[in-house]
Amino acid sequence: MRFGDIYAVKDIDLVIRDGEYLTILGPSGCGKTSLIKIICGLWTPTEGRVSIDGVDVTDVPIEDRHVGYVFQNIALFPHMKVLKNVSFGPRMQGRTVEEGREIAEKSLRLVNMLERLEMFPRELSGGEQQKVSIARALASGARLMLLDEPLSALDARVRMDLRYEIRRLVKDLGITVVHVTHDQDEAMSVSDRIVVMRNGGIVETDTPMRLYRRPNNLFTAYFIGETNLMEGMVSGKDDRNLLVRLRDGTDVKVGGNRHFQVNDGVILSVRPEYVYTAKEGLHSTVLQVIYLGSYWRVVTRSNSADIVEYNIPKHREPPAIGDKVSLVFNRKMSMVYKRPREGTSEAIRLE
Amino acid sequence: MTVVEMQDLRKRYGKTVAADGMSLRVEDGEYMCILGPTGAGKTTALRMAAGLLDPDRGKVLFDGTDVTRVEPEYREAAMLSQVYSLFPHMDVNGNVMYGPRIKKWHPRESEDVAHNMLEMVHLHRRKDAMPNELSGGMQQRTALARALASGSKVLLLDEPLRALDARLRIELRREIRSLVKAMGITAIHVTHDQEEAMVIADRVAVLRKGRVEQVGTPREVFDNPLTPFVANFVGQSNFFIGKVVSSGEETVVENERGVTVRARPSPHPIGSEVAVAVKVGNTTLKLDEGFFLGRVERVLYEGVTIHVDVMAEGQRCSAKLPNRKFEEYSPGDEVTVGWPPSEAIVFALPPGGLQEELRLD
Repeated sequence: MRFGDIYAVKDIDLVIRDGEYLTILGPSGCGKTSLIKIICGLWTPTEGRVSIDGVDVTDVPIEDRHVGYVFQNIALFPHMKVLKNVSFGPRMQGRTVEEGREIAEKSLRLVNMLERLEMFPRELSGGEQQKVSIARALASGARLMLLDEPLSALDARVRMDLRYEIRRLVKDLGITVVHVTHDQDEAMSVSDRIVVMRNGGIVETDTPMRLYRRPNNLFTAYFIGETNLMEGMVSGKDDRNLLVRLRDGTDVKVGGNRHFQVNDGVILSVRPEYVYTAKEGLHSTVLQVIYLGSYWRVVTRSNSADIVEYNIPKHREPPAIGDKVSLVFNRKMSMVYKRPREGTSEAIRLE
Repeated sequence: MTVVEMQDLRKRYGKTVAADGMSLRVEDGEYMCILGPTGAGKTTALRMAAGLLDPDRGKVLFDGTDVTRVEPEYREAAMLSQVYSLFPHMDVNGNVMYGPRIKKWHPRESEDVAHNMLEMVHLHRRKDAMPNELSGGMQQRTALARALASGSKVLLLDEPLRALDARLRIELRREIRSLVKAMGITAIHVTHDQEEAMVIADRVAVLRKGRVEQVGTPREVFDNPLTPFVANFVGQSNFFIGKVVSSGEETVVENERGVTVRARPSPHPIGSEVAVAVKVGNTTLKLDEGFFLGRVERVLYEGVTIHVDVMAEGQRCSAKLPNRKFEEYSPGDEVTVGWPPSEAIVFALPPGGLQEELRLD
């Protein structure tokens, strides 16, 4: 897909499996919305094809693709009651009034909104309106559902409840879903697989667990979950471990990664829950201690100004600001990336 | 440099009560978050503090002085809103210099202040850019620099991160906090996002239906909620409904089917109907240690934690467990749901029912 000389998305190869919950995740402007518009038929790609169940639909108009959509901006008909909004699709497909009502009631029951049948959209909260939008998409009988930032307009706490509800619903019904979002927590909670996008291309595609534990790409490591990034240089290796020397001279042992050579410039990435305190390690000073409910988050700075954060259980006494700590890293859960030519901050830039 | 007090503020729009006796004291140099769902009256509270909205009743005090009827421009409070409110025809530097200029500071001094501010928000290299050439995050950082450059003693932030991407919000909330703390000013920050509030605030005021439901440090509000609503709004909670059967060092609660659970001590008399609240992060799923049996519905890998849904006692409950336990649970597994009694809080069953009490919007 191209606008003038600018590609909105480029070289996208993606297979979405039957019954899969696939999420397209990326920052604003990464091309995720262009991609979903191409899948649903709102836009035609400049090059490339889209097929559903093996049938090429690239030139099939949106109304004949049999896909359901839910958009960020709740798009219910304001002058129609909930029932009529939801039975609208079946009625347009030639169903009778009774059939339309039956289908609408069934899909409203699925989203726990049956008792709101006779209300107008404006009488509902944002979360309720979005549930009705989902019921409407279900009522059309589509086996493929496209969700374009369906929760972005809602309060954080409502979003949290609704994302589990959506996942539960579509999994029970066995529908295939493509969900677009910029929210990595949301993507992690609902998806079978996540496609990480940036600058119009796919960075990598994998399950939430693989993307969190073993991201192939530095951008993914930073974008999904939280991580500590430290610049270093390979200072040694044997057949099982790599030795990474951080900027202050501390050597860190990392499992695997045998393709690196001594003196390679690298970035070490370790998630906060895999950083521990020890007698000897990376000397750091505590800058801030934050209570996060299930644990304390400790923010530290090393002698060479690397910011490293770690978690400690809530029932343990946290260190005080200004305390000196020595930090070590879980050897197996540390990742090493080639130091990017454009610089680390450019490689992880969000906008 | 300024203590801000709101005393029994009331505000009505037609039939809607936006502020229903709102009282809050924000200490000098404190970072206070006002947290609540849409429609709780958060923005109303902030606009009354700013002087953009007159309360029907009640007072706003700055350092003990009644400013309720003082015009916004004389309050020395700067406001940062969720939409980027930069002057589109002025470059970044011009926007930041706006406050100092209308206050008629010496041009040299204004330049210095603007430069310092832009350096603090990492935008000094973009000072000649026009707002429409900047990304959303940069625009909001410019707006922050402009708000701080005016020399205000109070910063009022109205959902300043709402329009930004999730990951960017995490980056920016840290920057805002450290900047505000470095300048030592008093900040009142309105948000619907409990995680944002926990990370950024010295204290959190949970607002609901125009009233302050609880004020405390993030830890107090999370660990010692005063109402079921706060228990569920600040971090999710599971609820167990039953009657108190014994009281003492622990409260024992039994449901209709004879299942008993244990919780913190509570003042509720034996026989009274209660709801026991436990955070999903304090809920355990073990083989045979706990209070009642359940069956695993699904297991989601969410990053630092896994999320497990369990059907138990006719209702769904959830647990957030460390990610290393991901392989221990599969759908269909039978587990025992439990919790440390010291993490379970007993509330009187709300008169309108628990569902109504927990409603988020």
